[in-house]
Amino acid sequence: MEIIKTFGNYVEKWCENTPDRARWLLTKGWEAQDMKFRLAPSKKINPSDQYLARMMMNVMLQPLKHPDQSVLVSVFTPCELMQEAGLYPYNVESFSCYLTASSAERAFLQSAEDSGLSETLCSYHKTFIGAAEKGLLPKPKCIVYTNLACDANLLTFQRLAEFFHVPVFSIDVPSGQTSENVAYVAAQLRALRGFLEQTTGHQIDEDKLVQRVKRGYKTLQQFDAFQSARADRFIPSDLVSPLYSGMTNNILLGTEEEALYTEKLLQDVKKAPPKKGKHIYWMHTIPFWSDAVKDALLLNDDVQIVGCELSQATDISRHSEDPYEEMAMRLIYHALNGPISRRINAGIRHAKQAGADGVVWFNHWGCKHTLGGSRIAKKRFEEAGLPTLILDGDGCDRSHGGEGQTSTRLGAFLEMLGDFAHE
Amino acid sequence: MNKTYYVCKYTPVELLTALGGKCEILNEMPEGFERAEQITHPNICGFGKAVLEEVLAGNIKELVLVNCCDTIRSVYDILEDSGQMDFLYMIDMLHCDIECSRERTAMQLKALTSAYASYKGTTFDKAAFLKAFQPKERTQEPHLAVLGARMGQELFEMTSNSMPLPVVNETCVYNRSVGENLPSEDMDFDALMEWYAGELLHQIPCMRMMDHAGRKQLYQDPSLKGIIYHTVKFCDFYSFEYADIKSHTDVPLLKIESDFTLQSSGQLSTRLEAFAESLGIQKETKKERTMGKGYYAGIDSGSTSTDVVILNKDRKIISSVIMPTGAGAANGAERALEEALEQADIAREDLAAVVTTGYGRTAISDGDKSITEITCHARGAHFLDPKVRTVVDIGGQDSKVIRLNEDGSVKNFVMNDKCAAGTGRFLEMMAKTMEMSLDELSQVGLSYQEDITISSMCTVFAESEVVSLIAQNKRTDDIVHGLNKAVAAKTASLVKRVGGEEAYMMTGGVAQNKGLVKTLEERLGTSMVISEKSQLCGALGAALFATDI
Repeated sequence: MEIIKTFGNYVEKWCENTPDRARWLLTKGWEAQDMKFRLAPSKKINPSDQYLARMMMNVMLQPLKHPDQSVLVSVFTPCELMQEAGLYPYNVESFSCYLTASSAERAFLQSAEDSGLSETLCSYHKTFIGAAEKGLLPKPKCIVYTNLACDANLLTFQRLAEFFHVPVFSIDVPSGQTSENVAYVAAQLRALRGFLEQTTGHQIDEDKLVQRVKRGYKTLQQFDAFQSARADRFIPSDLVSPLYSGMTNNILLGTEEEALYTEKLLQDVKKAPPKKGKHIYWMHTIPFWSDAVKDALLLNDDVQIVGCELSQATDISRHSEDPYEEMAMRLIYHALNGPISRRINAGIRHAKQAGADGVVWFNHWGCKHTLGGSRIAKKRFEEAGLPTLILDGDGCDRSHGGEGQTSTRLGAFLEMLGDFAHE
Repeated sequence: MNKTYYVCKYTPVELLTALGGKCEILNEMPEGFERAEQITHPNICGFGKAVLEEVLAGNIKELVLVNCCDTIRSVYDILEDSGQMDFLYMIDMLHCDIECSRERTAMQLKALTSAYASYKGTTFDKAAFLKAFQPKERTQEPHLAVLGARMGQELFEMTSNSMPLPVVNETCVYNRSVGENLPSEDMDFDALMEWYAGELLHQIPCMRMMDHAGRKQLYQDPSLKGIIYHTVKFCDFYSFEYADIKSHTDVPLLKIESDFTLQSSGQLSTRLEAFAESLGIQKETKKERTMGKGYYAGIDSGSTSTDVVILNKDRKIISSVIMPTGAGAANGAERALEEALEQADIAREDLAAVVTTGYGRTAISDGDKSITEITCHARGAHFLDPKVRTVVDIGGQDSKVIRLNEDGSVKNFVMNDKCAAGTGRFLEMMAKTMEMSLDELSQVGLSYQEDITISSMCTVFAESEVVSLIAQNKRTDDIVHGLNKAVAAKTASLVKRVGGEEAYMMTGGVAQNKGLVKTLEERLGTSMVISEKSQLCGALGAALFATDI
């Protein structure tokens, strides 16, 4: 851990005067981690999750190695068109998580606040803005974002587009689940195609796009099948794999790699031993850096995280053969679009699907919609027979921790679920 | 008849009026959020909680919301879940103003017409619709504007009363600009809604719109003489605009933040008055004075101590006193002034003028004039060392950083928010946790061995971090150094926000804390002037102002 802390300190320190050098160090550090994933993957997790870790690391390295072929996107922006245009998509949330994991987030958070941004802004966005404006992050080819699923998107991407002087495309996603709204978004996605072709000079092949979007739909179905199959199985669970799958099933949806990942999941679950311990379904992001959460849930035979809402935000019962309409449906019928009841109902359905014994609703500091709906969520989940813990914290910023409180709340909740030895 | 309340400028107020509604903006600032925080998380925007508070108090039965932001979306969810409203509606307003957005918005307007007409039992009255438009008149006279996140009615009144020029409210719902050009009379309902959708979307955009470049007209008005930029705690939208404006405008700019309650007005009033003073536009009512014998007093009534400085006509300090404020600012000031007069061996009648400053300044009836501690600190610091361009003052209740012009007047300033992080109070709490006095705390921390980082700036969380460090048997010097680093980081952040430049002077009681001063100097990469009179800086500035009277 001291090595990571020292690494993070140097990234932060060099960024003050020589950001290129800091970026070089960051790239080398992440390449070393990538090498470790390839040569000595953690044997404590399943092969599918080992593969996922490599895949995610590769997503993070592309914008550092090939900035001119990268596109910065918001977390739920459909990426198939970008992939067809030959671009590597990456998002704010993943990048900030990796900076936190590298112990290099504090200086960037502080720098964003120093520029006048509020301290109550989502820390993923704040870290990213700070890192970009301090020169750590290279200039992407372009930016594509949607307002789904948080206010911060409406602010961060315009600011970054002005900072980097790059073209930006925004997709306006209305809240209501109607066919007119699907058509409204599909029209914008068709316009996105033109934007990408003009920005990259790369013509998008419509047939290949159709195949890619179809592959993406099949990938989501396979992931869903895995979630059902794991209900009575034991799958070792760390704190980052559920987040990785939430990121790759958007950024990489439609790629052969992501499809292969879900195939590996189905292979692993077939070989998995019967369920042991308790199953926890996790709503919103996971504070993977927290020692209190690690103590309770990291690779624990007595209790495992069996799913995270971020990896199951698509309503796969909605499907269209038209690729633009299909991507538009993913946004309009997204679990986090519209009233909180949609998100809660999806959470209940997916928690039961994975055989959850309890649910953690994580109130990530700065996420007003998650915070605002938390009391209703607890009531609804518990009415559905799922004991629920509302846990306050931060997925990215250690200073919003309160480790003692996290440990007590999470520990007591797990004890309440009962019949396993928890310390 | 019940009123229909609304909160957003994109609300189709004229349509609701045409359907028989009596509409009113909801903008009350409650005393607190006792009811609201029973049903929602405290960390959502204060305005959202104010809406919940009003509804739960039984004051509102009809409410038309717009999906303005994540907090208002949550407010809708919570109110719908509560079942307490007679009529609750949320308009799904789009985020861009393009042709197909207008089409979608017209459909939204028709859906609202159907729901509201059915609730009211009325039909659309075209004449009432056309009559309802009241275009906003824009002033061409010199004025100040409040920009940013919506400002509660009571705070706006306080702001207007503090300023030397008329103040225009350009926040949120108050810069509505619908119907500057009215439609032709022969339009049918469908055509009217198409036109109306365009009018609503084509207003000066708010920050939730994807393209908000049109907002520049709000701060590029030549008759605008100053901006009071308001943000609401836990609303993030407007901090982006503030960050942008502050580096692109020459108009004097003050940022204030409220949590949408009536509390903390003391701290905001200091900032507002200091800003009004810095504009250099006089709007004062001097008391009638009796001639004294060439002595001038400044009284700084702070939350912890009351300081008095008496100057002679050559502006030489002839006496100074620092006393605990005790109960009541007026009594404390009276006692301190008596003590100072005694030291100087002069009588009250010998004073030609008295200026009061500090939190208790307005409670003191003795003064000829009261001036904020920000303006006084600047003048005092300039007097002590004319090279000083930035004053860092960490007081008991707040910390501030003041930028000075060459003549010692205030160029710009920032203060910490309501939270105690980075103030003397933070150190006081930590000293208590470590079972030390504040004096003892200020003596240690210089000879640290381990570089500990206290990551939480929240006083409560930091306290728990300190407790756990004590439990780990960490050295006192190391923990105190960690605390000093935390306060220094917060202070350095204020320095950056105000654009601090050399030379720096540190004032206030915390200036005596050697460990903190050293850590802050390291953080800023420069040394700071610490005058032996640093604690008297505010009173000294006030006394200097008294010599001008």
